[in-house]
Amino acid sequence: MELQAVLMAAGGGSRMMELTYNTHKPLLPVGNKPLIWYPLNLLERVGFEEVIIITTKDVQKMLTPDRLKLDGKMKLDVVCIQLEGEMGTADALRHVQQKIKTDVLVLSCDLITDVALHEVVDLFRAHNASMAMLMSKLHEFTETVPGQKGKKKAGEQRDFVGVDATGQRLLFMANEADLEDGLTIRKSIMCKHPSMRIRTGLLDAHLYCLKRCVVDFLVENKNISSIRGELIPYLVRKQFSKSVNLPNNKDEVEMSQKMEGQTNLEILGSCKDEELLRLTQERSCWNDHHGDMSEAYHGGKVRCYVHIMEDGVCYRVNTLAAYIEANRMAPKLIEDPPIHPSAVISECTQVGADSIIGASCQISDKTSIKRSTVGASSTVREKVKITNSILMNGVTVEEGCNIQGSVICSNAVIGRNADIKYCLVGSSQRIEPDARHLDSNLSINDSALGSLKMSRDWPA
Amino acid sequence: MNMAAKTAKQGRPGARRAAVDQDEEEQPLQAVLVADSFNRRFFPVTKDQPRALLPLANVAMIDYTLEFLTSTGVQETFVFCCWMSDKIKDHLAKSKWCRSNSSNTVHFITSDTYRSLGDVLRDVDAKALLRSDFILVYGDVVSSIDVTQALQEHRLRRKLEKNISVMTMIFKESSPGHRARCEEDNIVVAVDSKSKRILHYQKTQGLKKLQFPMNIFHSTSDEFEIRHDLLDCHISICSPQVAELFTDNFDYQTRNDFVRGILVNEEILGNQIHLHVAKDGYGARVSNLFMYDAVSSDMIRRWIYPITPESNFVDEEGKSCTHSRHNVYRGTGVSLGHGSQMEENVLIGQDTSIGAKGHISNSVIGANCIIGDNVILDRAYIWNNVHIADNVAIRQSVVCDGVEVKTGVILKEQCVLAFNAVVGPDVTLPEGTVVSLHHPDEEEEEQDEFLSDHAEAGHNKATKKDKANNSKELGTEGQGYIWKSSSLDHTKEDELAQSLWGLVLNPDPESDSESEASEGSDQPGSRTISPELDDIKVFQTEVQGTLQRGLEENIGCDNLVLEINSLKYAYNITLKEVMQILTRVVLEYPFFQEGADLSTSQYNTLLLPLLKGWAPVFKNYVKRAQDHLNCLASIEEFFLEHEAHWGALVKVLMSAYNLDILEEDGIMRWFSQEGTTDKSKLLRKNQGLLKFIQWLEEAEEYSEGD
Repeated sequence: MELQAVLMAAGGGSRMMELTYNTHKPLLPVGNKPLIWYPLNLLERVGFEEVIIITTKDVQKMLTPDRLKLDGKMKLDVVCIQLEGEMGTADALRHVQQKIKTDVLVLSCDLITDVALHEVVDLFRAHNASMAMLMSKLHEFTETVPGQKGKKKAGEQRDFVGVDATGQRLLFMANEADLEDGLTIRKSIMCKHPSMRIRTGLLDAHLYCLKRCVVDFLVENKNISSIRGELIPYLVRKQFSKSVNLPNNKDEVEMSQKMEGQTNLEILGSCKDEELLRLTQERSCWNDHHGDMSEAYHGGKVRCYVHIMEDGVCYRVNTLAAYIEANRMAPKLIEDPPIHPSAVISECTQVGADSIIGASCQISDKTSIKRSTVGASSTVREKVKITNSILMNGVTVEEGCNIQGSVICSNAVIGRNADIKYCLVGSSQRIEPDARHLDSNLSINDSALGSLKMSRDWPA
Repeated sequence: MNMAAKTAKQGRPGARRAAVDQDEEEQPLQAVLVADSFNRRFFPVTKDQPRALLPLANVAMIDYTLEFLTSTGVQETFVFCCWMSDKIKDHLAKSKWCRSNSSNTVHFITSDTYRSLGDVLRDVDAKALLRSDFILVYGDVVSSIDVTQALQEHRLRRKLEKNISVMTMIFKESSPGHRARCEEDNIVVAVDSKSKRILHYQKTQGLKKLQFPMNIFHSTSDEFEIRHDLLDCHISICSPQVAELFTDNFDYQTRNDFVRGILVNEEILGNQIHLHVAKDGYGARVSNLFMYDAVSSDMIRRWIYPITPESNFVDEEGKSCTHSRHNVYRGTGVSLGHGSQMEENVLIGQDTSIGAKGHISNSVIGANCIIGDNVILDRAYIWNNVHIADNVAIRQSVVCDGVEVKTGVILKEQCVLAFNAVVGPDVTLPEGTVVSLHHPDEEEEEQDEFLSDHAEAGHNKATKKDKANNSKELGTEGQGYIWKSSSLDHTKEDELAQSLWGLVLNPDPESDSESEASEGSDQPGSRTISPELDDIKVFQTEVQGTLQRGLEENIGCDNLVLEINSLKYAYNITLKEVMQILTRVVLEYPFFQEGADLSTSQYNTLLLPLLKGWAPVFKNYVKRAQDHLNCLASIEEFFLEHEAHWGALVKVLMSAYNLDILEEDGIMRWFSQEGTTDKSKLLRKNQGLLKFIQWLEEAEEYSEGD
């Protein structure tokens, strides 16, 4: 076994509380499949037979193979973590360290992508990298987001990612917020990698290949709690730090010992290339760069790589907008027939090819469904028009409704002749007959949502 | 008929426009060649010959520039000269560029008032010489780059957005460490990947960290490139506005000023600069002797193909030569003595004779030279009419026209023998010697007359006068003055301005390791890992920094105390700790200055003045009896760690006592405290210390008795 897969599925989805306050994020239906199905399917497609899923107790109960609709070859090793206190992704990884015997592939449960995973792993293998990760060009969300129409999104702060001329070696990573004084790069780095591309507008897919020794380092370094927030930036920086590469300088070692409690040495010790590898590098004339005569990788032991997807699908479903977008893309990723065989659809109904109808649905006459997803066990009565919308499971839509660009959560009931445009309807909500709603959030009221957010701060 | 068509077209307004556009394209391509460097990097060589005429591989540099311009399609070139313009004029008048069949018409514009590139371009604007985009080069650029593509890109940009892009700079890709890269000209450029617009342009010499202001990343693009692998060829494609902009901004002197001004004012003026990276071809500016060396050897090694020594592109008689194996080029009438070896990369000019058993490699020898027996030349650049006697060795040096090198002379690396100097016999010139017939003093006297090439004479006194009789250094028959490099131990700027060869020979090997070493402490990452970085440790380094600054900038002790106090609050340090740390920092300071391996006496001589200088700081913190004890305890602690310097303890105590930092009561009390460890007991038995204590006791008794 070369790589062990670890799937982080304990996150609460704090950035889309509207959807997750009563459905756990890994189980949110996307294209009528739970969100977690997508990363599992990704792993399954490339031949993983086992995966460690880190999640909460509540989710574990729901993770039946039946629900996941996997072919059943995958062995799921579900590990529960307590939600008490702040537990970050790195903490979670540390939690399962006993199970980790090889290098690991860590990914998040909200990743929907059609990436050729081997691209990332090949980088990891080819360069004997400490870390290889996946990024993608950021997709512009085109759909209108319910309750947010017309609202200008506050300018999010961009991530600056620096890669070398090949576009693969990760040299630099920072958020705009930390760069108030300008972007600073050491000249020695520029000498080693004289052509650096700084890219913005990239989405970090939160998919990482990590060397075994990095996990060991995490175990030693208890104060790193987040992989994305702390570990990755640390590794990226450490690539060029001499104290890691050449701890000859006594003072430096002492200092780093004082500062990090000997762990700095650990990452060096464990990242030392194996003897054979070292020998190969010594004997071979291969080099990762040209322009000077220094040894491959300039003698650096820590190496970080990134595969950047220029096209293809890659979403992280962590906001409402991304959720809607992912649903729109889902039909293209799923091979199953869009209309579940057990759904009952009367003949005088228009169902667009770009729509998905879940199991045991009942769709009545004179209804038109376009570019929409209808969840399992939903009922749609006569003369209903549904466009660009997402209906989760067990939703009932009464006669004559018009639903456009909206998200209807589970078990909601839409009263007769209601007209709903660009709205979010919370789960088990009842919309009065003849109601007209435009661009609003029809879930539980905002203050309740607020307090909910407070109490369920995002764990992992 | 053509005429008729044109008039017919002009009848309609739309058509007229098209005609005008067409006219613009049909304009002959123009170039501005600045045959003056406006600096004195080649001084004193350029005292006798302007830089543009200095021979590189036996061809004047300006010929390369003109060849480049002509081959890239320039039809009209304006040559601007200032320093020794007559010589340049004469040279060009005889050259092929001024023949009637030349495809490139050369115009001369000379003026003694040019002092910078800015003056030249302002004059271009005043005279309205240029009608469309033009190429701007210096007379010392050697290039084989085809700029046609860059020109098209430039024109396209100008067509799409009128008057936005004012300049396209040509760069050549070459990694750091490339031979043709001169440390002092290294640059870093930030570019928008898609539009190739330059966002930031900076020289990197002497920098350890490269800073890029955030506002350059605010454009709509999402991909930027930071390039440190570019060599500035000093070839620029300029729009006519460039000249106007120079007129508008009379403070622009160099192209660097211009580029920086445009980039800074981009938002206001809306002008942009783009870059073109040439993948093929060669381009470099001979900006100092280091580059002269690099470009010459590239030329002989045929990297600038199709411009090669044997191609005789200047089409002059006597410049032709044959090319044989190992890149050995021989002109006509060359005679080689018996047993002389042309190892590789050697160019020998017409009618030169070389004696027996010589050893010549990587060198250029001009025409009509006479070289004796047993001569070793490596990376030597011998110009015309040079006489070199027997048994001479020359390494990486330049020997100008008419020089005579007598027997047994050895030139170490980077020597320059300027025109008609005589050296020898039997002397060895150390590294970096510059010999010229001109007295270094002359420059001072004539300073006011010197313009252009010598314009900067006033503020960088590049060379030190050396009035001493040079016969010792130059040999009994020597003629000339040694121009001493005055700045070997001076500041960097002086060195830069002065060294003919550029800075490359000491490409500060420390800088890299230093920056790496400092990394450990100032890297933010290490801090995030353990946010509770030892406050005391930080405080200590801060105090050290404060004291160091105090020393460098001569800050008064009152202010130092203020700074230390504010640090104390910032890091929440107790008064006791402040004193301990202060003591420690001061005692360690000599090590910090000079390294850990000092002898005790060296340590003393370094420390005592420091103690004296900082005594008021100490006094501020050492007031109560307890403070004295604490201070002494810190001193003890320090010396326990530095056993080798126990001899210094007494001196420290003594001077602290004399400076009224410590009082005898305190010292006596400290001494009477039994040491807790064996070592501290041992310390108290130190001979010097015992004597000092005894002396104190006696003094006390004396004063009591008094």
